[in-house]
Amino acid sequence: MTEIALNNRLRGSGLRARHLVLGIRIVAAATIAGFALTTQGFLSTLSINALLTAISFVGCVAVGMTFITLTGNIMSLALGATVSATALTFLATLSFGIVPALLVALLFGVVITGLQGFLVGYFQANPILVSIAALSLLLGAAAFATGGHRIYPAGEGLAIFKGRIAGIPVQALCFFATVIAAQFILSWTRIGRQMAMVGSNSRAATAAGIETTWTITIAYMAAGACAAISGVLLAARYGSGDMELGAGYDYTAIAAVLVGGTAIAGGSGSAVRTLVGVTVIAIIEVVLLLRGFSEQLQYLITGIIVLAVIMLHVVGERR
Amino acid sequence: MSVLAVKGVTKRFGPNAVLKNVSLSLDAREIHAICGENGAGKSTLVKILTGLYSPDEGVVSIDDKPTAIQNPQHAQELGIALVAQELSLAPALSVLDNIWLGNRNVPLFHRRKSLRMKARAALDQVGLSDLSLDAPVSGLSIGRRQLVETARMLTREARVFFLDEPTATLSDVEIERIFDALRTLKAEGKTIVYITHRLGEVFEVCDSVSVLRNGELVGTRPTAEIDRGHLMEMMLGRSIGEMYPTWQSKPAGAALTIKNLHVPPVVRDFNLVAERGAVTCIAGQVGSGALTILRALAGLSAVATGEVTVLGKPMRLRSVAAARSADVQFISEDRAGEGIFLRLSAGQNLIAAKLREHTTWGVLARAKLRATAAKLAGAVGIDLTRLRSPADELSGGNQQKLAFGRSIGSAQPGVLLMNEPTRGVDVGARAEIYRLVRGFCDQGYCVVMASSDIEEVLGIADRVISMYRGHQVGSYRRGEVDMHRVLADITHPAAA
Repeated sequence: MTEIALNNRLRGSGLRARHLVLGIRIVAAATIAGFALTTQGFLSTLSINALLTAISFVGCVAVGMTFITLTGNIMSLALGATVSATALTFLATLSFGIVPALLVALLFGVVITGLQGFLVGYFQANPILVSIAALSLLLGAAAFATGGHRIYPAGEGLAIFKGRIAGIPVQALCFFATVIAAQFILSWTRIGRQMAMVGSNSRAATAAGIETTWTITIAYMAAGACAAISGVLLAARYGSGDMELGAGYDYTAIAAVLVGGTAIAGGSGSAVRTLVGVTVIAIIEVVLLLRGFSEQLQYLITGIIVLAVIMLHVVGERR
Repeated sequence: MSVLAVKGVTKRFGPNAVLKNVSLSLDAREIHAICGENGAGKSTLVKILTGLYSPDEGVVSIDDKPTAIQNPQHAQELGIALVAQELSLAPALSVLDNIWLGNRNVPLFHRRKSLRMKARAALDQVGLSDLSLDAPVSGLSIGRRQLVETARMLTREARVFFLDEPTATLSDVEIERIFDALRTLKAEGKTIVYITHRLGEVFEVCDSVSVLRNGELVGTRPTAEIDRGHLMEMMLGRSIGEMYPTWQSKPAGAALTIKNLHVPPVVRDFNLVAERGAVTCIAGQVGSGALTILRALAGLSAVATGEVTVLGKPMRLRSVAAARSADVQFISEDRAGEGIFLRLSAGQNLIAAKLREHTTWGVLARAKLRATAAKLAGAVGIDLTRLRSPADELSGGNQQKLAFGRSIGSAQPGVLLMNEPTRGVDVGARAEIYRLVRGFCDQGYCVVMASSDIEEVLGIADRVISMYRGHQVGSYRRGEVDMHRVLADITHPAAA
């Protein structure tokens, strides 16, 4: 009896907390929109295009991170290095033609990240530690393979990634396609539904007959594919690559996932939410830039916003 | 003169009074048992007497002087010690550290020789003379940890000791050691409050017994003046009422046959034939192996061995997938941890195990899934408007209905395994769940239920299997058995 009474009371406050969180989100969105619209030059084609390009690279990584977060494995610190490594792979294999190079790059990202997923799923290894080990391995292997030199394209064909279709940069189109594909997987396929179940309660998923190892491995493979897409886009944009290319993307990606409202504890989340998260962070950065804040201050303010969002999550999930 | 007493104590949580006008007096040189069913108010009473809760009404007095116990630290200062039901040792620390952990009379650095000797003496007293003081607790079995906990209790300079089910995880030999320790304390003039489900122990070691039922004190008796039967009546005395449906037993042949099931280290050589269209209840207390058997049948044990046949076909053990493809469904005793997906919606919970049938080339038929969810919700009585709510906003009863709904709806009725299906479910929803269970039987399911609630077992079962420490004690048809018999079987079969 006591338990029930207590639950009722807590449930009541839980609902209020959730409404509070929703309210804060709306106010925050309105504030950001207000700042953006009153910033000189924000609505120019130039800045919109810059924004689109900026969100494309890190956005793909963030969508990949969404899969990992959703399955209850918090985040991977190796996705940024995977971006760089796939970019190098792509550039190095361009001599075989653009399509084989693309396939090799994708396969590389999928296998490297999928292996981490298998370790996490099968051995229940700590996902953060596995990703730190993978990061170190990737950096070491890349240094060994490249001898520390920049990699330049070994073939032609990068131009198609730099063009525009109907005025929209091809890079942005690739990113949107990634979002749509990821969202399709998450809400329309069995494996996507299973990812949410494993993330919500992996013991219950096991008891319900769901192959948790396989589900987590697939989620990581999807994350690897997303990182590979980001790597290819970056390689095409800069026309050369090194291991610095995707450095720091893991942090921005997890920030975007959280700002978008995917639960850090797993079980709920979507690629569209992550798209919103990426966009919000990018808008803040562009606005700060246009208003003449220094880069250091941009980092500082982004950090504060991410911290605020995480605290908001804590309040929202505490019942 | 009483050492510790309560007079007219009432404690409410929200609108529910969990203790109503309870008066109780404890004397020196006494081992006093407190008995009662789950939810009778035992834990609340103990929490009031050890300073965790303060009563809403009534007085606590020590040496006949009214005293407000502020908090557990204050209780310790007043000479009241608690040995918790949940083991409270720090696994990474040594036995010595654990014995002195939290003792207010011990300085920060406690490597002094006198402290080692005192700890040694306490360990010897509980029969752990072979145990090194410097061994880490993490290497000890659960039973030995409980003995270390008891040794820790012996070193406390307290006058009143509370023990909450100290023997639940112990073997007979270890239990005897604890009893010896209690008798020593009693001879030293201490007071011991002993909370237990095992009635045999009440008569073996206690001087008097107080029975709580629904938050009220039924009475206090010297154990010499009553017998087991009397004590059981005091515990179970209420009428069962309209809680359970009435039905005609009509079993329709064996659906599940278990031969020589072993689940180390608990269950040894368990055999069972469960019939379709009937409820088979495995009754037993914590540690009896009842829950373990069903977990093993669900494929959730990695060490189970034995021959299991479901609907005429052999089923492989140790694999959830094998159990599920044999149409064996499992409803967990740990609803929040293993049963349902709290952060997913009610609808998603209902279809959690049915994704495969609704998938073409990996893509879900979402409209069909919604229809299935609605159908299952109807079958278990969940309001359709709640299908989109997260499961953690539902009551315990409705959450349990989600677990039920998820387990039914396969092409042919199979085997439903339920561990403690009404744990944490309030009275109204309980009756509904019992009706659902009987309904499943009418549809041809074979229901196997493990429960520690004897009233429930007798109210719902066609066949009752009683378990004690991993082996079967008795097997009875409905009507062939009463509460006293089952209670005797699962608490202390030798004395019955």
